Amino acid sequence: MKFLISLAFKNLTRYRRRTLITAGAIAIGIMMFIMVDSMLRGAEYESVRNLKWYETASARIYNSEYWEKRYQMPLDINIPDYKEKVQKLEKNGYKVTPRISFSGELILNVIDFGEDGSMSIKVTAIDPQKDSDVFHFNDTLVEGRFLKPGEDGILIGSWLAEDIGAKIGAWVTIVTRGNGGFYQSMDLEIVGILNCPNPIVNRNLLMMPISTASDYLEMEGAATEINIKLTDNANVKAETAVIKSLIGNNNLSVYSWEDLAFDFLAVLEADRGGSNMILILIFIIAAVGISNTMLMAIFERTRELGMMRTLGMSDSAIRLTFMFEAMGIGIIGSIMGVILGICINFYVVNVGFDFGFMLRDIDIGYRIQSVMRGAWNFDTAVIAFFAGIIITTIVALLPTRRALRMDIPSCLRS
Amino acid sequence: MKRIILTILAIIMLPISIFAISGEEIVRLADEAQTFKTAKSSGEFQVTDRFGTKITSFNSWARGESESFIEFTSRAERGQKILRTKDEIYLYYPDAEELIRMQGSALRQGVLGSDISYEDMTGGKDRAKQYTIEITGEEKVLGRDCWILKLTAKTRTVPYPKEIVWIDKKSYLVLKGEYYTKSDRLLKEMEVLEIGIFDNIETAARTRISDTMKSDSETVLVLKTFKANVALDNRIFSLEELW
Repeated sequence: MKFLISLAFKNLTRYRRRTLITAGAIAIGIMMFIMVDSMLRGAEYESVRNLKWYETASARIYNSEYWEKRYQMPLDINIPDYKEKVQKLEKNGYKVTPRISFSGELILNVIDFGEDGSMSIKVTAIDPQKDSDVFHFNDTLVEGRFLKPGEDGILIGSWLAEDIGAKIGAWVTIVTRGNGGFYQSMDLEIVGILNCPNPIVNRNLLMMPISTASDYLEMEGAATEINIKLTDNANVKAETAVIKSLIGNNNLSVYSWEDLAFDFLAVLEADRGGSNMILILIFIIAAVGISNTMLMAIFERTRELGMMRTLGMSDSAIRLTFMFEAMGIGIIGSIMGVILGICINFYVVNVGFDFGFMLRDIDIGYRIQSVMRGAWNFDTAVIAFFAGIIITTIVALLPTRRALRMDIPSCLRS
Repeated sequence: MKRIILTILAIIMLPISIFAISGEEIVRLADEAQTFKTAKSSGEFQVTDRFGTKITSFNSWARGESESFIEFTSRAERGQKILRTKDEIYLYYPDAEELIRMQGSALRQGVLGSDISYEDMTGGKDRAKQYTIEITGEEKVLGRDCWILKLTAKTRTVPYPKEIVWIDKKSYLVLKGEYYTKSDRLLKEMEVLEIGIFDNIETAARTRISDTMKSDSETVLVLKTFKANVALDNRIFSLEELW
């Protein structure tokens, strides 16, 4: 066995250029695998974070009847006396913020926007003093200022602002239906522009103070939702059960972020399937490359193979020699691939690739606005390393078997 | 002497108080004047905006105050249907073979891009119960004597918290209307441009409606034929008929 290993090693050093080229192909395949896996994991991690920070929070309380009609955003199915519930949860150490969500029509005037127009919108009324306890919008302000309680002001997402040509100080009118169904109109001044990293939010974001909305919409101390922030390592299911017991059985339900973002998670699941396909394809391409190189390497040495058989070397020993040789190439390629993968991953994790030009107008499911960053995953590097060695060894079997089927004179003549 | 003067004044004023009609009564009669057991009509929407005028023709059937069915007949919209039942509005698009129930903020959208919203098609006409009604004056509209009434909503469940309407003293037709939001902003205006007589019934033949939130836009609703109290098949107002 020792002889076979040493023979394989000698062969590797004897055909140095071939060894390096084959190992290079393996290295590139492994590096691509590590990089793509890192990007997909990073996109998933960042999407979930942006979802919780800007869309769903960790958990949310709704009126139990609200869920079925949530797309219509009814104001009459609400959480009455939300302040009492907020206080109760805060006393128990939870970070919470109430919100009123409603739909309406945004009316733009010729003076501020160059031409008259209107569009359907969704508005979120927030508590400017408590919202940053749960969400992270304060950090996304790019122009103007944040909301003040009770003012007739509105914050707008930067993409929406770009689309409609909104500037700080411009006035918009929102026509909507109040609590009960009456028409209400509100004239609001744009006080700030937010560049939210969550593209779904940034495309449609409009936020106003909850006290102003409450007055206009005659909410009488009610909110449509209470959002809760949990720690990153919290058991969300267990916590929602605790929250439910705290607020009592008064026709309110608690939903985890997974419940709220079930459609996103379904898309993510589908994306994961697609991502795995990409990874499999990368592996197949690498395997075909390796197989091809090994095939050439073995066929160009058919005479040598015939010679070894003439000298009395058994077929199994020859097969083992070639397998050890392939394994050696696999080890070299895998080491190179993992090193290259880790190097490129430093760039992917810390700098990332800017897909903003594409994500501005296309919704790919991920909650990433422009820069796609990677995430470290050492499991993938380990898997890629061993897979590189195993695949290289296995693909060497086929051409060796084919060569061994030839009779010795044919081998020597070739 | 004083008592005699008061008695004379009371006698003089008596006919006025006997024949004075309340705002509630006027609105009730106006609602009745526009409600028929059944009705069949045809007409067109002339929607004018900054891009020009678009004409959409339709046939319509109605039963009572809360059921109606509209089928569009103009080339671009042929086959599109709107069914209004007591509580719901459904749309049918033949190309998509899709039935849509209009809900929430979608009800504020204009019917085929017009200034008439789906909202304007909903709700009963029992305004006398839903509003506090005050007669604020009199004015001539289309050469006819009208009462001017201010309607202030008693509940939050009506779409327009405030309405000002001009009602013809003779026919009880609403010849002009202004519809406001809770913040007292004018949201919609309606004005009858021409009154027609169809089947011995006086009704609005041409009505201009404009959504004041959309500048350079107005819709003229033209009634070409109108027949009241006709026999209608019950199936017209069913969902099955939409497909």
